[in-house]
Amino acid sequence: MTSAKGTKPTTVERPAGFAILQIVLIPVIAALNYVTGVIVNILKLPLFLDTWATMFGTIVAGLWVGAAGGFLYNIIMAFTLWGLPAWVWGFINIYIAIITWVFWRIGWVSVKSPVKLVAAGIIVGVTNVIPVTAISWGVFGLMPTYAGTAPIYAAVLASTGDILTASVVSSIVAEIPDKLISLILAAVVASRMPARFTLRPPKA
Amino acid sequence: MSNTAFGILRSGYVARDTFVHRLDGRTKFLFFLWISLFNYIFYDLYVTIVSFALVMFLAFVARIQRFATTVLVIIVLPIVLLGLGIIGGPFGFVHNKTAIAAVQVFGYTVGIYLEGTVYVSVWTSRLAVTITAALLAYVTTHPSDLAAIMLKSRLPYKFAYAFLATIQLIPILTNEITTIYQAQVSRGLNVQAKLIDRFKSIIVLMIPLTLGAINQTQIRAIALESRGFSAPVKKVMLRDPKLKASDYAFISLMAAMTCVFIYLIWTRGLVPFMVGIEYVRPGG
Repeated sequence: MTSAKGTKPTTVERPAGFAILQIVLIPVIAALNYVTGVIVNILKLPLFLDTWATMFGTIVAGLWVGAAGGFLYNIIMAFTLWGLPAWVWGFINIYIAIITWVFWRIGWVSVKSPVKLVAAGIIVGVTNVIPVTAISWGVFGLMPTYAGTAPIYAAVLASTGDILTASVVSSIVAEIPDKLISLILAAVVASRMPARFTLRPPKA
Repeated sequence: MSNTAFGILRSGYVARDTFVHRLDGRTKFLFFLWISLFNYIFYDLYVTIVSFALVMFLAFVARIQRFATTVLVIIVLPIVLLGLGIIGGPFGFVHNKTAIAAVQVFGYTVGIYLEGTVYVSVWTSRLAVTITAALLAYVTTHPSDLAAIMLKSRLPYKFAYAFLATIQLIPILTNEITTIYQAQVSRGLNVQAKLIDRFKSIIVLMIPLTLGAINQTQIRAIALESRGFSAPVKKVMLRDPKLKASDYAFISLMAAMTCVFIYLIWTRGLVPFMVGIEYVRPGG
C-alpha cells in the first residue's frame, strides 16, 4: 500500500503482504471444493473429489490455508445443506491438509515423481478411513450413505453381520480412488501454476 | 445434489416478512444448535418425529417449505431407502429379530425387520431435523445480519469475511465452470467418453478455473486492502441486529423445554417413549 500524505489520495498498487492473499485464498479453496461437485455431476464420475482443493491450497499456499479452506467448506455445507453434525467432516479436511503437507515437505507430491505421488495418494486414502469411520459412527450411525458403495456394504454386512466392518470396507473402496485422484489432480494443477501467482512468502 | 445445493447457495437469503424472518439470527442459530443436540441425545423415534414436525411447521411459517422439502428429498430420502433396504432388510443386521413382513425364498427368510427399520428411521430423522433447522436459520437470515452476528459473537472478522466470501464465490465459480465447460465442449471435450477419459477431462476443466480464481484473489486482495481490511482499527457494521421481545420469548421456551428434556433423561432414559425397542448404539 502506498500512502501519499497531503493532496494525493491513498492508492493501492499491490497487496501489503502474503497474509492477505492467503486469507483471500481460503474462500477460493472452499468454493473450489464445492464447484468440484458440479464438475463431478457434469462428467458423471463415481467419486466425490471434494478435498482436492484442500490439497491444492496446502501445496500452493501452506498448511493452514489448505486446512482453513477445507474446514470452511464443511462449515458452509453444514450450515446450509448437510445439517449441523456434518461440520465434523471438517476434521477430515484438516487431516487431509496435514498429511498432504507432510508428503509435500518430503517431496512426494510432485508430478515429477509419479510413483511417489501415487503411493502418497493411496496412503492418504487408506489412513483417511479411520476419521471417516469415526464420523460415520457418530453422525450417520454407520449407515450406508453412498449408493456407489452400498452393494459392497450390503455384501459385507450379509457375510459378517457387523455394520462397523461393512462401513470400513465400503469406506476403503470409496476413499482410496477418491483421495488418489484428488491428490494427482491437486499436484497437476499446482504444477501448471505460473510463478507470478506464487502464494508463499519468499524465504528469508 | 449439486444443482439444488447450488440453487440454495445462490439464492441464499429468502426475503419474506414472517415471524421467523423477524427473529434475530442468533436466536435462529441457537435453535438450530439446540434442536440438533437433543435429537442426537435421544434415541427415540417419537422425539425426532415431533422435532421434525416442529421444524417443518416453522418452515411453513417462514414460507420456505418447498425449499426444505426439495433438500430433504434429495439428501435424506436416498439414505432412508439405502438404510431400510440394507439394515432394515435381510442383510444380517444383528439386532433384527422382529419381522414386520417376511417371505420364504428358497428356504431363506427375506423380510423387513422392526429393529433395523427403527434404527434407520431414528438416524435419518435426526438428519432431517438438523438439515431443516439449518436451512431455516440460513435462508431466513440476511447475509449482512449474518456478518454482524459473527462479529458480535467475537469471531475474527477475517473468519466472517471468509464465510461470506465463500457464499458469494460459489455462484461466481459455478458460472465460470459452465463457461469453461462450454468452451471445452466446443473444442471436442466428450462427457460421454469412457470413465478414464472423463477423469482426464477434469484437468482441462480445473486448470483454467483454478488459475482464473487465483488471478482473482490478487485483485480481491488489492480491493480489500484499499478498503482498509487489514487496518488495525475497530471494524464497524452496516447493520446492528438486536434481540427483541419475541427472541427472548423463543429463547425462554427453549430453556423451558431443555428442563423438560433433562427431566425425561433423568427419569426415563434416552428412550423415553418408544416401548419394546432396545437402545442400539451405532455399530451395535
